[in-house]
Amino acid sequence: MGETVGNLIGLNDEVIHSVATLAVEAHNSPSKQFLVKKIKIRHDLSSVVVLAFSGSMLPEDWFGQPPFGETEIDTGKFPSLTSLNDGGDAVVNGSFLRRFNDVLDKLSHAKELKAAIEKKKQVVFAGYSSGGPIAILATLYFLENQTLSPRCLTFGSPLVGDRIFGHALRREGWSDYFTHFVMKYDIIPRIMLSPSSTEHKQILNYFKSKFDKKNINPAPPSGFYLTVMGKASSVASYEACHLMGCRNPSLDIIKSFIELSPYRPSGTYIFCTGNGNLVVVKNPNAVLQILIHCAELGESNTAEVEKRSLDEHSAYLSELKKICSDGSPATATLNDLGLSPQAMRCLQAAEEFENRRLRNLENIGKYMKKIEVELKELRKYKENAQIRRVGYYDSFKLQNENDDFRANVSRLELAGIWDEIKEMLKEFELPDDFEKKREIIDLGTEYRRLVEPLDIANFYRHSKDKETGAYVIGGGPRPKRYRFIQRWLEHREKKPFGSRSESLFWADVEQLGIDIKKKGYLQEIKERIQQVERNLIAWIGDRSLDDDVLLENSTFVKWWRDLPPQHKPESDRIKKLIGE
Amino acid sequence: MSQAPLFSSAGELANLVVNSNLIDVAWANIPEIQIDPAAFPCSVEPMVDYSPTPNRTIVVFASSPNCTQYPLREGGDLVQSSLFQFLCPNECSSVSINKAALYLFTSLESQLHGLKTKLSEREGQLIITGHSLGGSVAALFTLYLLDSMDKKSKCRPICITFGSPLIGDFGLQHSQWNSFFLHVVSNKDPVPGLFLPSRRSPPTSSHSQTSVYKPFGTYLLCSEHGCACFDDPDLILKILTVASSEVSGELQVVDYGELLRKLKNKAIWKGPQLAGERSGNPFSDGIVMELKTIGIDTAKHNIDISEMEKEARSLTKNTKASEAKKLNNIKKAMAQLEWYKKKAEDEKKGYYDCFRNEEKTRHVKVQGLMAELTTYWEDMVAEAERKPQKEGKSFRTGWLFAGTTYRRMVEPLDIADFYKGGDGRDYINSKRSQHYKLLEQWYKEAAKPPTREDLDSKKKKVSVLLTEDSCFWAHVEEAILSCQSLTNANSTTEQRESSWGNLVMFGEYVMEQIENCAVSPEIFLSGSSFMTWWGEYKAYIHNFRNFYSSRLVEYMKRGSYNQYG
Repeated sequence: MGETVGNLIGLNDEVIHSVATLAVEAHNSPSKQFLVKKIKIRHDLSSVVVLAFSGSMLPEDWFGQPPFGETEIDTGKFPSLTSLNDGGDAVVNGSFLRRFNDVLDKLSHAKELKAAIEKKKQVVFAGYSSGGPIAILATLYFLENQTLSPRCLTFGSPLVGDRIFGHALRREGWSDYFTHFVMKYDIIPRIMLSPSSTEHKQILNYFKSKFDKKNINPAPPSGFYLTVMGKASSVASYEACHLMGCRNPSLDIIKSFIELSPYRPSGTYIFCTGNGNLVVVKNPNAVLQILIHCAELGESNTAEVEKRSLDEHSAYLSELKKICSDGSPATATLNDLGLSPQAMRCLQAAEEFENRRLRNLENIGKYMKKIEVELKELRKYKENAQIRRVGYYDSFKLQNENDDFRANVSRLELAGIWDEIKEMLKEFELPDDFEKKREIIDLGTEYRRLVEPLDIANFYRHSKDKETGAYVIGGGPRPKRYRFIQRWLEHREKKPFGSRSESLFWADVEQLGIDIKKKGYLQEIKERIQQVERNLIAWIGDRSLDDDVLLENSTFVKWWRDLPPQHKPESDRIKKLIGE
Repeated sequence: MSQAPLFSSAGELANLVVNSNLIDVAWANIPEIQIDPAAFPCSVEPMVDYSPTPNRTIVVFASSPNCTQYPLREGGDLVQSSLFQFLCPNECSSVSINKAALYLFTSLESQLHGLKTKLSEREGQLIITGHSLGGSVAALFTLYLLDSMDKKSKCRPICITFGSPLIGDFGLQHSQWNSFFLHVVSNKDPVPGLFLPSRRSPPTSSHSQTSVYKPFGTYLLCSEHGCACFDDPDLILKILTVASSEVSGELQVVDYGELLRKLKNKAIWKGPQLAGERSGNPFSDGIVMELKTIGIDTAKHNIDISEMEKEARSLTKNTKASEAKKLNNIKKAMAQLEWYKKKAEDEKKGYYDCFRNEEKTRHVKVQGLMAELTTYWEDMVAEAERKPQKEGKSFRTGWLFAGTTYRRMVEPLDIADFYKGGDGRDYINSKRSQHYKLLEQWYKEAAKPPTREDLDSKKKKVSVLLTEDSCFWAHVEEAILSCQSLTNANSTTEQRESSWGNLVMFGEYVMEQIENCAVSPEIFLSGSSFMTWWGEYKAYIHNFRNFYSSRLVEYMKRGSYNQYG
């Protein structure tokens, strides 16, 4: 067994070492925002273009607003870095994001990068220490733009984003583009897990004077390890509680009284043991546990470990030299990290969590068949209604036939399945890429278009708007399962949120009917009528809405005919659709 | 199939607590000796720090040092307290509180009442804390405060006690409120185990109940080697018993500040290597180690882990996803019953009589639905009933509406089953299930009196409403029985008189229901039991009481019911 590190991450060993060298060089060249280098690969004559970013050890370039300096990411630049259910947008370190924005303009005009894109060369973004976060954000930026598929290598980089950030990366299938090298005791990759403090400033100041080289041997700070790692360790404990299925209700109460860092690892982590061995870990929960537990104090005394936690931040080049020089097998097992039994249990729990997600996915596979059966029934129901010259929407609203009842049971059956899926997604109980799976989105979309009209019919049949307000209002009575499924489709098609609302056609019509009775033809109402007309034309056109809404006695046709002619701007085209 | 592995997170939770500043903040605010040590026999005093940091309030119950000695010796009895009756789900159950803690709390009551009002208006974090008996009073005050807060309250309390003795009995259990309590206990501290039977001095009065103390909330149990968080009361009780049997008899004061500092250091050390055999089962390995760090040897102290594992496993099944599924199954069953009801109306009988006279196959299916719904609602009601009054009430509001629909839909079917064989008598008093009674009682407590407008809009849609009184059909059945008793040659005069009285009352009852639009028009369908009763009743009046009339008799004779609904 055992592989070279190059095989593991799909890059030549030699290249990795060169990249690391450039990354360290760039970090120490603050006058330039990044360095570019073309690295030739000896055996196949191809080349790789490397861009390495400079770093900064100024505290304000690490922490903005205390305690954690986090900010929501700009989804204009990073549209994928968001949750497709209720989780909100990804959160990143505000200082790192600002530094990325500062470099972006120059980066996108860099001629070496343009040339590489043109010649379809492999591009690597790299960063050492605080250069790492910039490399990560730059890689994401180009992945979002689909102009190239860059690789990202970081060495001793601090953490950048939160759980949603990592979740979105894995959902988009980008996780494997990122490789982070971390020394066993290096304090910097752990530093973001604790709130900003005077200890942080001491550490950064130490490195600053060390890198500035004016002061060759600055005095290292001491006494920080317990504070910084203690706080960091509470993040790992909190996540371990979740992985272990902690059922103590006090957990949530306690959580609300303490400040926990939002940052979590993402991408592939390579832990360097310090003796030329490597441990490769991809499971993000396991990475977090190892980050904390492998740096725990053992037999050696605190001062020794504390010193090592600083020294190892400068040891990447020598360590990689050991690893990459001879091409010999470099991978090691977890045992080389010297983890405690408790740490091993945490890792076991992280693994079990992953297994559970896969088991859940397998169960969903069984549900898919059930969903298809019910949808088939409902399609038949829809066809039968059409034969009787009533749309299934209106037939369902009347609830006179045996078929209507059966359709109602199918509706509830399906709601149960999709609600269960929705809850699992909210709790991260399904694989991260679930919401990107083509067959899931397709099935969901069919479900949404066919069944949501029945929910709307049921809603207005029981005049539920009187209790809860209109069916479609933000956070209102519309079942969340439909909102999520719609979002999946919009995300896949890269369309703005809310643009794929064809399944809400009936809700718009019903609510307009009610509002016209209440308010008359106000300007706002007139605009809404116009919108309904346009939507109808567009959706019938692209077949996302079925033409049974145009049947002679449908709620829509009756309502539309009753509108005064001056409020029907698209009158001619709609008459044509109805067949008049 | 092998089961998924299970883990114990007691150590991780404890690590989270110790590494946060939360308990340091609480402990740092407890003064060493604030109150005159000579104060006799003991005193506790609340001190409030309104803004140590923005959005945070700290309330400390400082206690005099001799607190741990005098009142505890005589104050170990449990006494019932009307002050804390709000913790009980109903009037029948009771809660008992440690006498000493209750005495101190009561002596401060008027002061605490003012503090409560002030605090419940505040926003943000509220930490309530105290050492030893001060912690007991802090806990009582927190309960007192929780009762006055509602969901809208912006204040989030947590109660942290250090080395406090046990506070009360089983009455403090089974409440979501328990999650607001964190009790820090050192294995060297004799106070928390003081009232346990093994240690306690003979009871001071013959009525005292000494062995019923029950811990509640989460315990952070600490030794010099580490700590673990548990919330299972029986396990905590066992651990406290073991610990108190091993501390030396002398009462010594534990310095929790020093202990916390040591534990913080421990937190980033590699945990102890587990000596002895490992089973490979992460749950039992974990818990054995966690208990060992706090000084408990599972083998030596005879602690059964398999039982705990079983319980943990049963808990993991109730996820939010499975709750969502359950709720939808219930909706589905209700939809099917509604359809059954609609079909029955088409047969001119009403679903009550359809079910009463049903042929086998359909009957079995409906019974399946009933069983599913009843199990679900019995569980919901039982859960709500275990909570303190106030908490139970807010728990109920979310589903009471659905529960009422269920009661109105399903109870008539239970009544039909009961009277079907012909032997059923007096359903309401002899057979009615407790969960129906509670659902009805809660509904009545929550319902607002209807306005004129409500009644008007009800009139318009009475045809789709369910009969409001879910026992309506039981009254009809009793009325039919009364009619039979009147015409039965074997009835005594007394029986006849009582039957007639019942019928008069029934007539008034029905008329009132009709006027309030509280019955479904289906009762007037030609094949319904109600119409059967009317037929018999009319015949009886015609034959024996020709001059009798009532509003209902007039209403029925005129055929006004044809216009109902």
